[in-house]
Amino acid sequence: MSSKSNKRDTSFWDKHRNKVFSKRGGWVIGKGVFNCGYDMMHDLVGEKSYMQVIILNATGRLPDRKLADWFEAVHICLSWPDPRIWCNQIGALGGTMQTSVVSATVAGVLAADSKGYGTKPLVAGVSFIQKALAAYTDGLSVAEIVSEECAKYGGKPIIMGYARPIAKGDERIEAMERVSKSLGYSVGPHLDLAYQIEQMLLDKFNESMNINGYMSAFLSDQGLTPEEVYQICAVLVNSGVTACYLDAYGRAGGAFMPLQCEDIEYHGKPARGLSK
Amino acid sequence: MKKAKKVIRRDDPYAKKISTKIWHEQPSEQNPYIAQQSRCHGYDLIELVKERSYIDVLYLLFRSELPTKEEAVIFEQLLISFINPGPRHPATRSAIIAGVGKTDPVHILPIALSTLSGNFQGAGEVEPAVRFLRKNAKKPPEQAALALLDGAAKPAEGDWSIAPGFGSYYGGVDLMAEQLAQQLVALPGCGKLLSWGDEFSRALHDHQMGWLKTGVAAAVLADLGFLPFACASLYQLISAPGLLAHGLEYCKKPMSSYPFPEDKDYVIEE
Repeated sequence: MSSKSNKRDTSFWDKHRNKVFSKRGGWVIGKGVFNCGYDMMHDLVGEKSYMQVIILNATGRLPDRKLADWFEAVHICLSWPDPRIWCNQIGALGGTMQTSVVSATVAGVLAADSKGYGTKPLVAGVSFIQKALAAYTDGLSVAEIVSEECAKYGGKPIIMGYARPIAKGDERIEAMERVSKSLGYSVGPHLDLAYQIEQMLLDKFNESMNINGYMSAFLSDQGLTPEEVYQICAVLVNSGVTACYLDAYGRAGGAFMPLQCEDIEYHGKPARGLSK
Repeated sequence: MKKAKKVIRRDDPYAKKISTKIWHEQPSEQNPYIAQQSRCHGYDLIELVKERSYIDVLYLLFRSELPTKEEAVIFEQLLISFINPGPRHPATRSAIIAGVGKTDPVHILPIALSTLSGNFQGAGEVEPAVRFLRKNAKKPPEQAALALLDGAAKPAEGDWSIAPGFGSYYGGVDLMAEQLAQQLVALPGCGKLLSWGDEFSRALHDHQMGWLKTGVAAAVLADLGFLPFACASLYQLISAPGLLAHGLEYCKKPMSSYPFPEDKDYVIEE
């Protein structure tokens, strides 16, 4: 463990020391701003939609306008101004604390980096349907796929992309089916399998697909990986959080769901004194 | 396309109230929103303020009991050990950039702690490190090291993390992590995971690996009984003072006081 003898090879760090290496591009002062080979001010600004550039930054590939428009629509589906939703409530609590809009919005976005809702379940949803299609192609039946997934949770219908908390059914799927149709998309093999799985769950458990399931299958049909979907959707919930923040911010400080002392249920240690 | 299905509310049982074992607020008789007394795990806060140290109350808050003398000593020394990741650390540099960038100072800490959440030698590595230590602590440390090294290949670039919380640091043994571990191992409050980790670390030295700071923190916190997922967050808490101090140090400095690489040092790779 001597720090003096046998000087170590630090060439990897020496190469990177005080230097920036970028595969994406950057600002070449006097020449322009470059992004994945595109000249941003000429090729992108005014030529491509904001969502196309978001996807370019998230994946390194510029998608066609149609896919970007689909993503824009699904962002509307997944961010509502209802402060009962967990991430939105954090926005509202920021509002009632009179934080800055950026602070509250970013806090809400960070909250949605959750395994329970928001962005991380998309990784699980896309992974599930891609593995399921591979298994289906290899000969597993839809019933077997459903049975294997449910077996992981003691036979309960817990499959990522199906069922949802609070309510049964998902109005967002109908809206996105409409968008997909209007953009000229047809049902691909992942979405087709997702519908078959849904039918099986409806028949056996009266549970249907949720927006995660629809989105995961649709985007798998567009060739995206789970990680790419997660990256594109990094700030998925931001606008609903901002709306909830502003609603609370516009009222007197502390007006959002104030609690009396007795609104908290204490079930810890009884009152005790310090031994001297 | 299928027909739309009706959306109906489930009758899931959601709690009517927030519940806690940690804190009890006694309302004033005149105003139910104002607490006239607060208790932490049963102890009156005013009494704690008068009678106990910050370390004791911090431990109480998370572990529900006050620490023994030995626990308090090692916990306090751990908190001092990792009070500052240092100015080269990516999380500290995030704090400095926030400071020099004239970001609202109240944002410095959340920004820096977000960077510190990372899995590479950050808080994100602490929970896996606790799980690794717990899983392996019954094996002889040297054998565990040999088993991991057997067939393992050093990465072509960057550091080699042979196990969460253990590995190389800039290509060598992290000397500060080792020295801090030695200090903590020598305390009467040293637990079995810290002790095991120390032997495991020594078995890695010939391969230019050893304790990482995250591993030391993981071992001490787990020995003290903190849950694995809590250890990661506590590592952020422990490092917060240093991050904030460096960020605040830069608040009053001009933006030009932080390096902006020259064009020749900005390499766009094809």
